[in-house]
Amino acid sequence: MNEYRYEDIISKEEDKENFTKAEFTVTVTEDMMRKFLEITGDINPLHNDASYAREKGFGDRVVYGMLTSSFYSTLAGVYLPGKYCILNSVESKFRFPVFIGDTLTVSGFVKVKHDATKTMEIAAQIVNQDGKKVGKGTILAGCIDE
Amino acid sequence: MTREEVFEKMNEVFRDVFDDEDITVTDETTADDIEDWDSLEHINLVNAMEEEFGVKFTMGEIVALKNVGEMADLIMGKL
Repeated sequence: MNEYRYEDIISKEEDKENFTKAEFTVTVTEDMMRKFLEITGDINPLHNDASYAREKGFGDRVVYGMLTSSFYSTLAGVYLPGKYCILNSVESKFRFPVFIGDTLTVSGFVKVKHDATKTMEIAAQIVNQDGKKVGKGTILAGCIDE
Repeated sequence: MTREEVFEKMNEVFRDVFDDEDITVTDETTADDIEDWDSLEHINLVNAMEEEFGVKFTMGEIVALKNVGEMADLIMGKL
């Protein structure tokens, strides 16, 4: 787990080359889908019925967009800034469908720091194993004071 | 930029942050006047003002503000 403090962070606005960034990879599993269903109660067939999903033009059942987006929580809370993160907000866009078995690279960099509010804007994205950007997001996070 | 122009832009920021086209701020407007103005929206508001006007505030400047009029003065002093 990273342990960045607000002062350790360098935004892209401050230094276009040596700004603070992070990434990790994760593979979406059947078990994750089952747990997400259990937590949320989202029984929509696009996520739960493969034949229905195929009928509607998808190759297989589609991973919940919010499951994919939940990795922004990990990005902020474990990597950027990590341990001292206070997550203020996440804006998420779903660009392309994600399927079970996809390996996703979740990455982000600090675009802007706001000293007055001690918050940082993190530009994030999720790319699948084929290099396709399946999602993008904007995260606003602060750090717990020492 | 005149004070009126600053207020006009600030109004746009308020409307955008609070997602409410009916907001019209005055010198005397405070957080008590806008229902959704809580601590998180305060952060969003300050960050959005910095971006809109291309200025940077310090934490000390922000906590000293008593109303929107003082925020306008602070911004004008940095333009």
